[in-house]
Amino acid sequence: MNESVLQLRGISKRFPAVVALDHVSMRIDEHEVVGLVGENGAGKSTLLKILAGVYQPDSGEIALRGRPRRIRSPRDAARAGIGTVHQEQSLVASATVAENILLGAEGDAVRLGLYRWKELNRRAQVQLDKLGLAVRPTDKVLKLSYAQRQMVEIAKALHVEQRSDNAPVIVLDEPTSVLEGHDLETLFQQIERLRQIASVIFVSHRLNEILRVSDRVYVLKDGACVAERTRADMRIDELYQLMVGRETSGEYYRENEQRTVADARELLVLRGLGKRGAYRDVSLTLREGEVLGLAGVIGSGREELCRTLFGAEHHDRGELILDGRRRSFSSPAAAVRAGIGYVPAERRLEGVATGMSVAENILLADRSSASIGPIAVPSWRKRVVADWIDRLHIRTPSPTTDVSKLSGGNQQKVVLAKWLSSARLKLLVLDHPTRGLDVAAKEDVYRFIRQMCSRGLGIVLLADTTEETIALSHSLVVMKDGALTARFDATPGSKPTEVELVERMV
Amino acid sequence: MLVVVFSSLSDQFLSAGNFRSIAGQSAILLVLAIGLTVVILLGSIDLSVEGVMATSSMVTVLLAANDRNGMDLGYGAVLAGLAVGALFGLVNGLLHTQLRIPSFMVTLGTGAVGIGIATVLFAGQPPRLLDEGLRDWSAQRWLGVSRLVFVAAAVLIAGYVIQRYSRIGRYAYVIGDDEVIARLSGLSINRYKVWAFILSGTTAGLAGAMAASQVGVGDVQIGSGQVFAGITAVVVGGTLLSGGRGGVLHTLVGALIMTVLTNGLILVGVNPYLQRSFQGVVIIIAIAATAWNQRHRIRVIK
Amino acid sequence: MPSPSRESVRERLLAAMPLAVLVVLVLVVRSRQPSFLSVPSLRVLLESAAPIMLLALGQMFVILIGGIDLSIAVLASFGTVLLAKWLPGMGVLGVLAMLVTLSMAGALNGFISAYLQVPSFIVTLGAMGLWSGVALTVSGASTLPLREGYDAIGWLKDLRFVEIPASGVLALVVVLVTAVLMRTLSAGRALHAMGLAERAVLMSGGRTLRLRVLAFTLSGLCAGLAAVVLGATQFSGAPTLANALLLPAIAAVVVGGSAITGGVGGPVRTLIGTLVIGVLRVGLNISGVDPAYEQVVYGVVIIAAVALTLDRSRMKVVK
Repeated sequence: MNESVLQLRGISKRFPAVVALDHVSMRIDEHEVVGLVGENGAGKSTLLKILAGVYQPDSGEIALRGRPRRIRSPRDAARAGIGTVHQEQSLVASATVAENILLGAEGDAVRLGLYRWKELNRRAQVQLDKLGLAVRPTDKVLKLSYAQRQMVEIAKALHVEQRSDNAPVIVLDEPTSVLEGHDLETLFQQIERLRQIASVIFVSHRLNEILRVSDRVYVLKDGACVAERTRADMRIDELYQLMVGRETSGEYYRENEQRTVADARELLVLRGLGKRGAYRDVSLTLREGEVLGLAGVIGSGREELCRTLFGAEHHDRGELILDGRRRSFSSPAAAVRAGIGYVPAERRLEGVATGMSVAENILLADRSSASIGPIAVPSWRKRVVADWIDRLHIRTPSPTTDVSKLSGGNQQKVVLAKWLSSARLKLLVLDHPTRGLDVAAKEDVYRFIRQMCSRGLGIVLLADTTEETIALSHSLVVMKDGALTARFDATPGSKPTEVELVERMV
Repeated sequence: MLVVVFSSLSDQFLSAGNFRSIAGQSAILLVLAIGLTVVILLGSIDLSVEGVMATSSMVTVLLAANDRNGMDLGYGAVLAGLAVGALFGLVNGLLHTQLRIPSFMVTLGTGAVGIGIATVLFAGQPPRLLDEGLRDWSAQRWLGVSRLVFVAAAVLIAGYVIQRYSRIGRYAYVIGDDEVIARLSGLSINRYKVWAFILSGTTAGLAGAMAASQVGVGDVQIGSGQVFAGITAVVVGGTLLSGGRGGVLHTLVGALIMTVLTNGLILVGVNPYLQRSFQGVVIIIAIAATAWNQRHRIRVIK
Repeated sequence: MPSPSRESVRERLLAAMPLAVLVVLVLVVRSRQPSFLSVPSLRVLLESAAPIMLLALGQMFVILIGGIDLSIAVLASFGTVLLAKWLPGMGVLGVLAMLVTLSMAGALNGFISAYLQVPSFIVTLGAMGLWSGVALTVSGASTLPLREGYDAIGWLKDLRFVEIPASGVLALVVVLVTAVLMRTLSAGRALHAMGLAERAVLMSGGRTLRLRVLAFTLSGLCAGLAAVVLGATQFSGAPTLANALLLPAIAAVVVGGSAITGGVGGPVRTLIGTLVIGVLRVGLNISGVDPAYEQVVYGVVIIAAVALTLDRSRMKVVK
């Protein structure tokens, strides 16, 4: 029997709060393109990091042609013939194409520490020829276009075959997310070409692309491999159900607690807001007590729009009206003083101040409730902090504990407490508020969102999944390529479906 | 452009003699700046240059024929000066990579150690260099310019070869550009960092020996102001302090610009003490200008 | 991942170490020279430590936010030159003018570092050149005696509180007032927060740019105070008078347990660090070590202290 090039057998990986992978098994045959789909947080990136030698699985094994093999480092991965094209580009801009393709694996193109450029360039050219690429080995990477760089990355990944005893397996991690039109077509042609000389794992959230190139597809959901389909029995709507379907939605997201806001006061109005190279002509209204979901893929401009609301970037056109006043924030500090709060996706970097106590974090945004003028009043401070720890059920040994010692969910509660304890807060921007949280912590966040709405706060939500966006929002806007492509009313009972939303996103 | 400005302000500026003296003046600066370039390409910094120059000048003079002791190693003394520099570089590199201390802090400390060692060797009285062969390197001329200019040219060529053809040089760009990619590609980053510091230490050692040949004594203050001038030359040449961009040819341009500037200001009659102020302003402007388009409202720089 | 308890044990050990080192040093020096703890020798210690203490305090503000100020000692030298120039004509006003000038020079560092986003070590390296050049030019590269108008600052040398010279008392008072202010003001931990998590402070609406300018301004002000003390005790102003104090000042801060990565440290720790450095100097002196070795000692002490206090978990890439 013909053994698979690469096999994963019962791979599991746990992180402190979550099970990222739960007994995942899959196989890749020679000259096969295997699709891997799943929502954010389904475990795709953990799986790829295990294949690339960045993480080690807690249990389970990887086998090459039936023989178990450990992959402890990126170097091991290369020796096993696994080359990864990462989602974020990983070329060194100031080096040449040839240097990048052979980086760390120059072989005897470098002798006695000295480069033999002719040999180096020749070897790079061999790789480039395999893909039929028009770039020269001597070109500096920083002069190449994005699409060209991606092709060079594929050539670099393919170079693992020089070091490996195994047939190469090329992993393409979301390669299409920023490509369009012609470049996208070229990529598909490349995948066909790759198929002749290697096996390919193609990771994407765009199902139509998966359908187009894959021979087989695996669906990951909540860390488990929930389905395997061959080309003959792949159907986009079924795959979609497998990826996102959840029975419990309504109750889980507390949709019954969603209140109507139709006659509430307008809190935030954007009129024709634009920023060159990021988004354009964005007009929308957010009322008090309303959750506005912003849907869109990476590069749709929704991140930049959020950062503008929070003063971290500047719009160059249109107007931003908060509470009836035209505003243009010069810094996050200005936005905060105007009553805007921001719960960032990068919780440990931008959310909590690690190394500071829980108490200090809660009072980080607004200290006025615990001081007279510039003088701190310790007893008030204690009271305010204890009050918020109690209200949000923050589990911490004491208020003076270093916030970085708390679990992710409790850290996120500290971030929320930081904003909610501020008297001037009117609008909260939630950027992936449930990222990396376990189910219980997610439920807490959903509950707090509903409570904040009933206090009359306005919320702009960038959620982890489309399901979350739809369930939590009063209304939804979809962004694509910097423009609003659709608006949906999301009153319980008449919420749009995920397919409707995703259609407008990609 | 600088040349035009200064030649309009001073008749002497454009004379052949002045150009020769510019070449001579830039030789030492260029040598140490070339080593510094490799470290800065990594995104690190070497502030120990002055201390290394001081120690190396003392060691060189005390091991060559001098008025303090009976040593007479001739060129061996220069080699010893280089070795001292290389040793400082090795220590810098090891402390930086093994203890993971930021390079500016390590080299601030080792620089002080260098000054201290030189002070101990100095013992209150500058030892005079009596070796005629070594003195000649700065006194004698080839093709009308000081022989030190040829030393600098040789170092420049060596520096270019290292930058273009050696792993140390090529990987300096890679590591400086993106250390995470370098690590994921399996490079032994620490080894190349240590090598970069050794190169920088060695050129500083050579610069110390050259300066000793020029002044004729070993001196604690011999490298005074050179960290400054060196970094300025590297940065003015266009090498980014954040690493990954630039090179020794840029540094050549930077060193010439700095020397022309200094030379021109003296000829125009600017107070020599203000030169230092001038360099201080230039270094800040150069770095602010090269980093200008990387500015961002929420960027954090320490 | 190390267990939390082990981490906190390490933290506690690190926090207690500077004091332990100080006690051990004092005991060692005393065993060599029993008169060390006598009033006159303590007075000398405090007097000589006063300028370092002030410079270290200034340096501490900058190190707390994760930066470094290499220009602080040169600024103090410049301050003594300004004193020598301005005291005769302006008296006490001259002192104030000098303090304001130096604070503004510090603020300029902070401004460039914050708004032009240039790393602090390079800004202050540039400033070091700038102000030493200005000091040399203004003074004509010579030592200027302080005679006329000296009375405005002379009390620092002559006045005694319980046998302690006023300069030492001034330094102590400044350090302690700073410590009290940093405890009572609601924004007192803002600099620590900057050093620990600048992004989080920024994203919580903290005015990080202003805080940065503030830290450097305070550094300049402390350089000015150190200049006053130096002028009073040396009876002169000179363009390089304080330059050699840069390393002991940095050493004092890091020996006191402030991490160069920022966020950890405070005035009291800096005070302890200064005393360690001061006693160390005396100790070396008593042991008959050539003063030439002093620089070597500072260099080694700085590297060792930084290596011990550095919080490596905060640095993904060390440059």
